[in-house]
Amino acid sequence: MGRIAITGTSSFLGLRLLRRLVEARGPDAVVAIDVAAPPATLHGARRRLLDFTDPVSDQRLLEVFREEEVDTVVHMAFFTNPRRDSAHAHELESIGTLHLLAAAAAAGVAHFVLRSFTAVYGARGQNPNFLGEDRPLNVDSGLAWLRDKLEAEQHTASFARRYQSLKITVLRFAPLFGPGVRTFYTRIFDNRVVPVVMGYDPLIQLLHPDDALEALLLALEKAPAGAFNVVPRGTTTILTALHLADKIPVPVPHPLGYLGADLLWSAGIGEAPGGFLDYARFLFVADGEKARRELGFTARHSSREALLRYLQYRYPEGRRQPLEAPA
Amino acid sequence: MSKTEKVVPLEEGRARSRTSAKERELLERIQVAEHELGRAREKAERAAREGLLVTLARLLQAGSSGLTWESLARLSRAAYFAWHSEEVDEFGFDRRFAETLRPVFEFLYAVWWRVEVTGVENVPAEGPGLIVTNHSGVLPWDGIMVKLAVRHEHPAKRECRMLALDMFALLPFLAPALAKSGEVRANPENGERLLRQGNLVGVFPEGVKGVGKHFRNRYRLARFGRGGFVRLALRTGAPIIPCAVVGAEEIHPVMAKANWVGKPLGLPYFPITPTFPLLGPLGVVPFPTKWSIDFADPVPMAEHGPEGANDPILVNRLSEEIRSTIQHLINGRLVRRRSVWFG
Repeated sequence: MGRIAITGTSSFLGLRLLRRLVEARGPDAVVAIDVAAPPATLHGARRRLLDFTDPVSDQRLLEVFREEEVDTVVHMAFFTNPRRDSAHAHELESIGTLHLLAAAAAAGVAHFVLRSFTAVYGARGQNPNFLGEDRPLNVDSGLAWLRDKLEAEQHTASFARRYQSLKITVLRFAPLFGPGVRTFYTRIFDNRVVPVVMGYDPLIQLLHPDDALEALLLALEKAPAGAFNVVPRGTTTILTALHLADKIPVPVPHPLGYLGADLLWSAGIGEAPGGFLDYARFLFVADGEKARRELGFTARHSSREALLRYLQYRYPEGRRQPLEAPA
Repeated sequence: MSKTEKVVPLEEGRARSRTSAKERELLERIQVAEHELGRAREKAERAAREGLLVTLARLLQAGSSGLTWESLARLSRAAYFAWHSEEVDEFGFDRRFAETLRPVFEFLYAVWWRVEVTGVENVPAEGPGLIVTNHSGVLPWDGIMVKLAVRHEHPAKRECRMLALDMFALLPFLAPALAKSGEVRANPENGERLLRQGNLVGVFPEGVKGVGKHFRNRYRLARFGRGGFVRLALRTGAPIIPCAVVGAEEIHPVMAKANWVGKPLGLPYFPITPTFPLLGPLGVVPFPTKWSIDFADPVPMAEHGPEGANDPILVNRLSEEIRSTIQHLINGRLVRRRSVWFG
């Protein structure tokens, strides 16, 4: 059996998967591919320092795959947060995926796993309550962060069509939420007063990272072809989540919200461009039925539990506890 | 880093795999224990939480020194969870939210519109069913009343999930309120999912054409969409129960439509009634007409089989049949009705 190559091992999920696989299969079975070395605690792990934005990275990747006898690639080299230098992000995420796929196909890799996002379905008022995997992906053209993810998916789909020998699994994860997760949407919970879109309170899915990891391991084990939604049990709403975290939501009319968010974003203060407000107005809840049927994956945590675990991790001192100690 | 360093002796590898199996089992047990601990902690926290009045009393008692962000957050939390539950079902139905609003609807049902119901026994006591109703009255009050009729008059006290029009399901404020009170945005995927789960589902095939009907067209059923509801019933084998609502046409008589006002606001139409927009917010108060809701015999769909959904001629025939059944029910009522206000 060949080795498993994991790209983007500096990412939250990538590092966790690397650690899990090193624990389960030994340091010799995994190759970490990233621009930075994995942490010293994983010193035994094989690693290859490589930059996907390098124009000849496909040749270097091909060499790596041949030398290391890689037969499975898990692609997780994606930015967690929207970037202001969107050109660089595009090179890394969209073109980088293309290079990686080309190298994987040329090296005769058997299985390719792509980490994707349920947000690529796009938050739309017209969405059904549960988005199936066959739903066309529809990202707002203004959101470079998601457009690059969408392009990575499109490259993957086109390679799946052209190379029958390359089995491709696409895992579309619901937004990660849980201990250790730090992203632009978890940072909403850093402040006491949180602006929300007035008059909208859509259902959201929050996936515990342990469940995400479980789905990745199942995908590596079963190697199914196709796309799968990886979602938590149940949903919660934005207002419920904010109130559970003891936040004070301040409603802002949405035209003002888009404008304000865009201004803050271009001023270098905001966490994300205004287009992301769509995700606070409309549904993008995905259906996990296919993953349950074909991967045998069911999440252990509900959205609400993921949120509460995150809060326990974020506020270990219990900022949520009442001030007066019970008599 | 050289490759030779990385070679792990065979024995060591085998030993590793044995311990890792044990480790994995231990890890799993730790995870389960953590899970249980989390649940217990949550439960204790929920038990320790105070209601809205106690939180408010504490805030007042503490005076100006108690006015901190923390106490404000606790107040806002208590105020929110006083009428929202912490968990919602997969379509966003919030039981406590629905119970909070119920007295208002029950007042409208029993006192304001004095709803009279016949034929409720035609609604199946269990299993899926599709209630097909005429739509009228500018705001979706008829949906709420049909829902209440099924819950109050039916022996099985069934909860009916209404499929809400896009225009309502996308409006700010109304959209989350509808979702929390158990309504679901109307589209084939949602309807099929609900019926497959064995729910009772209510639809208004007339759609916008019905609810925003001109007063002079009252009780004349508009076209029933493109038969989507029949296809839904055929695919799932759920029986269709035709239902006629009389009285809702007169609650907001639409004299004219000023669509140029509605368009920039994202509304498909902007109604002008005798009281709206003349009286401002008061114009939203519906007239206290006398309502009746009649359910007809269920139309079985299972006999056509799910492949019937692909037969447009059959779909249209069934759709027309159901439309004329409802029109008949309405006409019968109208003939017997002597007064709009007293029935």
